[in-house]
Amino acid sequence: MRNPPDIIEVLARTQSGEYCTTKDWDTRRVPGAVRQMLQKHGLAKTCDTQNPCNYDFELADRFYQAGFELALELGYHVLDTQRTVKVSREELQNALKYAPSQVFVGEGKDGTLIKHRTPGDPYPMASVCSLGITNSEAMFPLITLGIARERAVDILEAGSLITLRGHEVLSGTPWETLLGYEHARMHLDIRRKAGRPGMGAIGCISAVTEYGQFGAYGTPGGFRTTDLALILFPSELKIDYRTLHKVIHTLNCGGMMKCDSPSMIGGMAGPPEGAVICSIACALLSYAILQNTVGGGEIYDVRYLANVNREGLWALSVTAQALARNTHICSHIIANQVSGPVTASLLYEIAAGVGVIAASGASMSTGPRSAGGKLNDHITPLECRFMGEICHAASGISPQHMNEICKELLPKYEDRLKNPDVGKPFQEAYNVERLEPTAEWEDIYRRVKAEMIQLGIPMDEF
Amino acid sequence: MEPDELMRQLSAAVVEGNDSAAASLARNALAAGIPPMTLVKQAIQSAMDVVGERFECGDAFLPELILAGDAARAALDQILPSISGDDMAAARAGTVVLATMYGDNHDIGKNIVSAILSTYGFRVVDLGINVSPPAVVEAAAREKADIIALSTLITTSLPYQRQVIDLLKESGRRDQHFVIIGGGPVTPEWARSISADGYGRDANDAATLCQKLMAGLEPPLPEPLILGALKH
Repeated sequence: MRNPPDIIEVLARTQSGEYCTTKDWDTRRVPGAVRQMLQKHGLAKTCDTQNPCNYDFELADRFYQAGFELALELGYHVLDTQRTVKVSREELQNALKYAPSQVFVGEGKDGTLIKHRTPGDPYPMASVCSLGITNSEAMFPLITLGIARERAVDILEAGSLITLRGHEVLSGTPWETLLGYEHARMHLDIRRKAGRPGMGAIGCISAVTEYGQFGAYGTPGGFRTTDLALILFPSELKIDYRTLHKVIHTLNCGGMMKCDSPSMIGGMAGPPEGAVICSIACALLSYAILQNTVGGGEIYDVRYLANVNREGLWALSVTAQALARNTHICSHIIANQVSGPVTASLLYEIAAGVGVIAASGASMSTGPRSAGGKLNDHITPLECRFMGEICHAASGISPQHMNEICKELLPKYEDRLKNPDVGKPFQEAYNVERLEPTAEWEDIYRRVKAEMIQLGIPMDEF
Repeated sequence: MEPDELMRQLSAAVVEGNDSAAASLARNALAAGIPPMTLVKQAIQSAMDVVGERFECGDAFLPELILAGDAARAALDQILPSISGDDMAAARAGTVVLATMYGDNHDIGKNIVSAILSTYGFRVVDLGINVSPPAVVEAAAREKADIIALSTLITTSLPYQRQVIDLLKESGRRDQHFVIIGGGPVTPEWARSISADGYGRDANDAATLCQKLMAGLEPPLPEPLILGALKH
């Protein structure tokens, strides 16, 4: 029986694996292998846009098998060396066998136990807020404090900073090393101020390259090794030495990691069905090659710059169900919204996306991506509260029931997905001094929450 | 082979993304006496239109778009030396140097823009990801680019877009190239603040933007052209 390759062996394979140019990988290897798997397993054209939350578990299992075989067929392409890191069947099986089925993030009573879940599982999916929406230096402490105070938020990620004491920060320079440290230091300080010093965290979202991660994770006063190191890598099925720097730094610190890379509907993986098997393959390989702790299962739709459209929701549901039913890993899946704060659309998009993910058995979800994550300070604690509430309340709902709920929700927002209302920034959506939402935003939240309860999502009453 | 059959096969080779067949068929078509502009418009451009429509409908995806663009380029490389004067301008929409900025390894948005620009007849020089501002400026000069298109998904790579414009100004070459920008955190406000010539929210906007810029405008523009601004 072969154990998964250790990091030395992975590094060796990045230099000795089969040569393949990135162009060939993107345009021939990945699409060709995906097409072959879809055909072999009879999965082409199985996306059902009339039933956006899949509840055919046999179909999800076939997707898992195709994803597993794709992982063995392709491995990861290494951008720096143009070589391929592959693993054997035994190595992949053992990596999944030894992957954690539960992980405690944070410390003491403020920490969160993330567990492997199955479709319809009542154990609550962990909510991680917010995604890396850029924050001004003035607003970052306020917005982050507001989010950390929301009890429906289990784990804090927060927004990302782009300036440091008024100076522009440049990616890949010492500015970023310094910003990583400052971000992490403020992040820990804010968790303490919120009265949740042991609250778990994921970081560092301000760290784009390895430099930011070196400054942020495991440093004194920064992200703790009981927090998750954030390690994102390029799609489809590509890694680089930047990714491996972050992995090795986390291992050196004795920490835990959340490794993720999205598969793209419309991109190299092709149709929604192709994106699902690529996403499954990518998730499985992250445990064998990157020694991942939690994560895997991301999907975006390049045509919408989101994934809460019908094809996106279907793909999220199948991916989550496939991983939930066939492994014991703790998957992590993001719902990408496009509408902004102080719009009902944002809350409908959160309810559909996060609801599908929770009902389908993912272990954790990070969000929301208010206004598509495109605009500075366009994030408020209130939609984070709403997302956390959906994470918890939709856990226990069956995929079939969630499908019916999605059919009610989609007509409320899908026409606007390509031309969304980006809403208002934090400064206009909140009373900044009191850290409270404006009456307008509070009213929208209450109205939509009441609608969700009526639709059958068992959120707490007011 | 009959001219009509040669045209049909050339068109099919482009749609299928077969670059070697496309180049060979283009040579044969020229040898058979088919006018070069007829080949460009009725075989190559029409084939790219077909692929573009399939992409829009969700019947074709990014790999097909990229390979069709490569095949079209391979055929055009054979045909363009036979074209001169005004016909050349009609055959080639313009040259675009395209890059994802330094510090950023995201390539999918850039790849979509590259593929769609090819379908619109632009010659695209794709510098790849993680490209430094000096490398962009050097490539633009080397390739005699009409347009520099800069993408980033990373906020801390945004300043590198401005550095490209600064380098062009400092080297006295700002009037040689349009500069357009796009990507996740890029906004119309950012485009204005760095004196870019254009902003597009998505890949189709980028293609339309390039067409508008090449329709008789001269760089730099006093105000950027903005396509696909978000609704506030």
